Order: sequence, then structure tokens, then C-alpha cells
Amino acid sequence: VIERLFVAGLSHRTAPIAVREQLVVDEDKLREILGDLTGRGTCAEVMIVSTCNRVEVYGVAEVPGEARGAAFRQLGAHRGIGLPTLEPLLYSKDGAEAVQHAFRVASSLDSMVLGEPQILGQVKDAFALAQSCRTVGPVLHSLMSQAFAVAKRVRSDTEVGRHAVSVSFAAVELARRIFDALDGRSVLLVGAGEMGELAARHFQDHGTLPVYVANRTASRAQELARDLAGTAVPFEDLFSVMAQVDIVITSTAAPEPIVTSADVAGALHARRGRPLFIIDIAVPRNVEPAVNDLDNVFVYDVDALRSVVDANLRERRREAQRAESLVEREVAKFADRLRSLEVVPTIVSLREKLEEIRKAELARTLTRLPAADEATRQALEALSQGIVNKILHAPTVKLRDSSKAGHGLRWIEVISELFGLGGKDRSGPSA
Amino acid sequence: VNAVVFDIALTAYIVAAAAALASLVWRRDGLSRLARELTVAGWLCHTAAIVLRGVELGRVPVLTLAEAVSLVIWMAVFLDLWVERRYGVTTFNAFVLPVVLALGLGLPTGLRDLALEPRASSGWILVHVGLVLVGLAALVLNFGSAIMYLLQERQIKARRPGSFYYRMPSLERLDRLTQATLTAAFPFLTVGLALGFARAGRGWGRDLLTDPLAFFSLVMWLVYAATLSGRVIGHWRGRRAAYFSIAGFCVLLVTLGAGVLFQGRHGS
Repeated sequence: VIERLFVAGLSHRTAPIAVREQLVVDEDKLREILGDLTGRGTCAEVMIVSTCNRVEVYGVAEVPGEARGAAFRQLGAHRGIGLPTLEPLLYSKDGAEAVQHAFRVASSLDSMVLGEPQILGQVKDAFALAQSCRTVGPVLHSLMSQAFAVAKRVRSDTEVGRHAVSVSFAAVELARRIFDALDGRSVLLVGAGEMGELAARHFQDHGTLPVYVANRTASRAQELARDLAGTAVPFEDLFSVMAQVDIVITSTAAPEPIVTSADVAGALHARRGRPLFIIDIAVPRNVEPAVNDLDNVFVYDVDALRSVVDANLRERRREAQRAESLVEREVAKFADRLRSLEVVPTIVSLREKLEEIRKAELARTLTRLPAADEATRQALEALSQGIVNKILHAPTVKLRDSSKAGHGLRWIEVISELFGLGGKDRSGPSA
Repeated sequence: VNAVVFDIALTAYIVAAAAALASLVWRRDGLSRLARELTVAGWLCHTAAIVLRGVELGRVPVLTLAEAVSLVIWMAVFLDLWVERRYGVTTFNAFVLPVVLALGLGLPTGLRDLALEPRASSGWILVHVGLVLVGLAALVLNFGSAIMYLLQERQIKARRPGSFYYRMPSLERLDRLTQATLTAAFPFLTVGLALGFARAGRGWGRDLLTDPLAFFSLVMWLVYAATLSGRVIGHWRGRRAAYFSIAGFCVLLVTLGAGVLFQGRHGS
């Protein structure tokens, strides 16, 4: 079974955006392709993960190469990209490697932004779509439910998804390391630029209210204050407002620093030691570097925020190594389970076959012994059962062991051949 | 027997401290869980050791310096566990346990049984010693949280997350914890010391000022009084308040050292 499991596709690692964007197809088209792949018998099971960063086909097929070609021919046909163009960008994995790939993708270890949480939802959506098209069988079902479980474990047991990796979220996270909670904190936005507005909105999303806006052009300040459900304050009152708020975001186009150490020191008196977090996203900077030397004042400019993001990314990468070894262990466990499943039908049919022979022979013998009493009948029954079990023992053990060692298929063939089991049950639970 | 049980407790504290520090640097939840469990186990052994010693000696075991320090450690560890639960400062033991161990192991073994006041073990002495010890235990925590505050403040100011950065609580919470521990310690310290001075003032006369333990206790009290009034009246927060807490703790260590090294009226 596991040998016929495959994944084929392209991602941000192999294909440029110019190609990836051409492969984005709507849900109806995906349904059509899924139905087609199983309808023609190319795939026994199939699902397609299609996001802006990856397009991947997961499936079970006798000839994975054929399934891959068919899938991408149809995906490309939509925008008129031929298979020869796509072929060099595609990667394919099968067996345990495909399992590993599925686990890594779901756990966001293969994502462009390591540890980003969206991918898990996207894989879940793709799975649900395939389920609704009835193209999911037992193999994909167990693969995906395990992938979701692994992703959950990676998220909870490692910190690969923790610590902000965007500048604006890094600012919010820093605020949380200074203030205990952001609820009810107030923000002063200096300058009415778009960047500052975005940053202020980010803080609002995380519970900080209210917002004050100060801008040299008062009308623009009022406009922005309305947008943010905040209050406009006169630019001259900048430092008296600064004495009240907790977080200051500066983003004016001033060529020289407008917030000096002396100004802030003056505002600090009225603050009674409450910490002040200043985020200076303007270039050139609006805040004099010396302001950061003041006690209880923390100034972060764009570079400082970026260096925090870099540190967080390093942190995620470090955690990703732990996640990788977790995934590896899970892959081995899953492959074992899948392999032990693939020999089950053979064992069952072998047992049935011998049981059939035993019953037939026993019945024949008993018709020839009409005088046999109950004790004799029972003895014959036990004798025949004993012989069958002894004969079954060695091949059963051999099958189980070989499946664990990864060459179960060969022994399935051998035993089917030897005992004349026929081919009908060799394909395992997925057929 | 109590010495053996005490050594087991001490060993548990040492391993717990190592695990707590390691969990801070490598950020493994398993390690911090191990640290907490060992701390609890160590504290239970410690409790048993104190009880055993009391039973063996047939008196409350707070009359020698070693006993007093042991009791301070016992209370500090208990408070640490409580604070971790109450305030969710899970990394606190990484800073409290090393201090506690330094106190426990810093006592020169030869002086361990030095009596503070071997003759009198009247009721008021127990109250005096007891109150001061509760105060000292809270001050151990005060020192730990002040150190944490400064470490985290430095990392945030430097705009470079270091290895401690990710597991530390927010600055505001640390500052509140520093304030809370000082506020809790101060009344105990004040009443405890006042009792001592009031009682000794009558009997000792001029010896009160030449007794090193009494003298440094007074200095220590003054530093902490200044810190607390700075916080309450001057609205000191953050770095300055933390520095003062650390200064106070240095005097506290000197006081204990003076108690060990010099024999004033306390030791006679």
C-alpha cells in the first residue's frame, strides 16, 4: 500500500510565482479534476492541495507517474500551460517519503514563512473537498488524520510557530514584554502616514484602546482619528499627551528628529515611572536615539524591530530541527502501521483458504465414518485444526516480519503464488 | 537523621536550580516541569528535616545561625512556589533557587552550629527571630525578581533578544512582583527588628551599637525603608527600584556574614 502512495507537485521552493499563479484554479475545476482522476482509474484515491505557495497532488495509484502527468496536464490546461513546461518544476515522492512530505507540509515546516499557521487549514480544506468528491479512501484518510495530529503536536511541543516574524506583529509582541496586558493601553499616533495607521490598527486588534492622533496638518489628524475611532490632538500638545499614553508610534516625514531626549524626559515626570514604549517607523527617524537611554522608556526603530524579527526567525529555525525529528519518528510509526496493514488481506485469505480445505476434507472423511461417535468427531476436528494452525504459523510470521522490514509485497506475491490465493486480495485495504 | 534528610533536600534544590536555569536557556517545558517537581520534593524533605531536628533537640530549631538560614530557605522556597502559581511567573525558581543555595552552601561548615542566643529561648526571642526570618525570606524573592527585571530590561533596551528573553515575564509584572515582595517583607522586618532593639535596648545598653548583627540589621532596614519610600512617594519604578533592592540584599548578606564572623552580644 505504502509503495503506491505518492505526492507530486510544485511549491515556492521549485517554481516561481509566475508559474504558481497560473495553476490557481477554482473549487469547481478541482472537483472536476478529482472526479476525473478517480473516474478513469488513474488514481485509487486522490486529493489536491492548491494554495498560492504550492500545488500538490496526494494520491494512491498503481503508476504514480501516470497519475502525476494526468493531474498536472489538467491543472495546467486551464491557463494553457503544457505539461512539458511544468514537468521540470515538479517533484514527486512516494512511500515513506510522501508520508514525510505530507507531515512536513501540514506542520508548516515546508512553508515559505516557517511555522505560519494557515497551511494546516488549507490542507484540511483540500482534504474536505476531496472527501466531498468521494475521492478519499482509507489510505489518504489515515495519512491526513495522522498529518493533522502531527501538525498539532509540532505546534504544541515546539515553538516553531511562536514569536512574531513580521515587523508589525513584533511590535505588538514587544509591547507585551513591557506591559503585562495590552487591554486598555492607550496609543498615540504621531504623523498620519499609512504605515503608522497600520501599526496603530494592529495594536487596536490586540486590545489597546484608545488611540490619539497628532499631526501637523490638523485636518488630516481628524480624518485619521475618525477612521481609527480615536481622538485628534493638537500637534503642540504632543508631549503632554505623551505623558498620558503607554505606546507612541511615530511616522512623520520630518527630516530631523521631532522627539528629543529632553522632551521625553519632561513628559516622564508626569508619568510616575510608568513605562513608555516608542515605536519609530519613520525613516529618517523621528526619535532621537538618546531617548532609549532614559529609564522606563523603550524605543524601537525599524532596524531594531527587524533585528527582533531576525532573532525570532532564528528561534523558529532552531525549533524546526526539533520538529523535524518529531516528524521523522511519526513517519516511521505511520509507515509501520501502513505496512502491517498491507499483509493483513493476504493473511486473511490464506487462513480462509486452508480453513476451506480443512472443512471440505473433514466433511468428506466424516461421511465415510457414519459410525463415528461424538468424541471421535471432536478429535478429528481438533486434529485438522491443529494441522492448519501449524502450517499457517510460519507464513504468517514471515509476512508480518517482512512487512516491518519493508519488503512485504514480495512475500505477498510468493505466498499467494505458493498457496494459489489468486490476485484479488493482494492490493490491500484500499482496493 | 535530620542532617541526611537535609542533604537530600539540598541536593534536590541543586538539581532543580540547574534544571530551571537550563529550561530558561534551552526553553524546554520538560525541564521546567522537572525543576518544579524537584523543588516541591526538596521542600517536603526540607520540612521533614526541620521537624526532625526540632524533635531531636526538643526545641524550636531557630536558635543557631544555621537553623535560621535553613528556615529562611524553607520559607523562601515555599513563597517561590506560591508566587509561581499565583502570578504565573514560571521561571522564578531559576533565580530564587541559586540565591537560596548560595545562602545554604555559603555558611562555613565549622560555624554552622554557632548559636545566635544560646541562653535565652524565651517567647519574645522566638517572635523576634520568626518575624525577621519571614521578612528575610520575602527579601530573597525580592532580590530574585529585581535581578530578573534588570536582565529582561537590559535585553529589551539592547534590542537584541538573548537566551533568557523568550521565557521571561513582562517587565511590568516583574516590577509589580518586586514591589509586592518588598511590601510584604517590610512590616515583618520592621516589627521583628523593633522587637529586638526594644528588648535589647534595655539589657544591652551601649553594646547594641557595637553588636555587628544589630548594627548591620539597622543599615539593611534603612536601605529597604529608603527603597520602599522611594517607590511609594517618589514613584520609583523599574531600574532604579531594582538597583535599590539589590543594594538592600547586599547589606543583608553582609549582615548575615557579620553574624557569622563577629561575635557580638548576639553570639555570646
